Amino acid sequence: MNYVECFRAIARQRTDEIVITSAGNSGQAWWAATRDTVASFYLDASMSLSTMFASGLALAQPDLKVWAFMGDGAFAMNPGMLMVERQMNLPNLTHFLVSNRAYGATSNAGLPNSDHNDYAAIARAFGLEHVHDFRTIAAIEHELPKLKAANAPGHTFVVLEVEPFSDADQKLEQPPFDGPELKFRFGRHVESVTGADIFGYRL
Amino acid sequence: MSDREPKIAARITDELASCGVKLVASLPDNWLMDVIKTIEGDKRFHHVPVNREESAIGLCSGAYMGAMGSAALMGASGFMTVIYALTKINYTYEIPLFLMATLRGAVGDHHKHHISNGLYLKPVLDAISMPYQIIAQPDDIGLISRCYHHTRTFSRPMVVLFTRDLLRSGGGGN
Repeated sequence: MNYVECFRAIARQRTDEIVITSAGNSGQAWWAATRDTVASFYLDASMSLSTMFASGLALAQPDLKVWAFMGDGAFAMNPGMLMVERQMNLPNLTHFLVSNRAYGATSNAGLPNSDHNDYAAIARAFGLEHVHDFRTIAAIEHELPKLKAANAPGHTFVVLEVEPFSDADQKLEQPPFDGPELKFRFGRHVESVTGADIFGYRL
Repeated sequence: MSDREPKIAARITDELASCGVKLVASLPDNWLMDVIKTIEGDKRFHHVPVNREESAIGLCSGAYMGAMGSAALMGASGFMTVIYALTKINYTYEIPLFLMATLRGAVGDHHKHHISNGLYLKPVLDAISMPYQIIAQPDDIGLISRCYHHTRTFSRPMVVLFTRDLLRSGGGGN
């Protein structure tokens, strides 16, 4: 399925979920699909750590639903993260593994073993129990609402099998925020919906 | 193990708890095992053993964005692997992070494979302008709270470095 259309389909299913994107194309695609300036943290400055970041947030705020995107290029750098995610088994965290079979942010450079990597099987091998594999927009539209409604008792892992960015997609705008502005916009939103005190002061 | 070591570990964990730390993400170093075991058995903390040190950086940074106090605990060698994560996440977004690591390779560490840490750990910290505080004596343990709170003022990471003399004074072999 088309990468950006996949993200648009997921965005249409979103209600109150907090979103963390990864280094690479996922931030561009989510920004194109949503233009969200408060409830998404575009963690562009990290390779392979978006779901760890999301896990910390989900642990800290168990009433928040947290969606985290990660490309398979980032996943390849730190697949052991799934050991930690399975161990934490946070029911309010959904890990979307965006499988474009390339290092998308670097002009679709080749990913090791890209033809053979079976991410759902890898997740199951780590003991994850709620593993899904979406390959079409129709599957997202049909299955994601059911997945959300199911309120799985533990961590959820979803593979999104997408085509790499086209040359035109690569020109999509990057989320434009300076780092501290993103921190404060996102953090103030989390404070407003949870009542938590992140920054130690209110304006 | 000497009688002193559990007391040191307990004092370190009490100091962490006094800061409001709830989450501790750790990777082992033999010098740290009493601290890790003490944290693991202390219900004031949610202890998460992680797969690599960078995961601790991500986890603790996300916890901050959820208003949960945290600490990342690791050996010096592990710390040397997280420069990318620290400078990208914690410097770019100005997210506070409190780390605790071992001062490997310093006088008293008889492991030759830690010579590189002795040579380069502090120069690397200086190179990224990251403040550090050496905790060498039991009376220094109170500095943990001051350093933790400094990360919140500074909006960046800071690390405290435990010496062998503090953690292994009973003559433990590693």
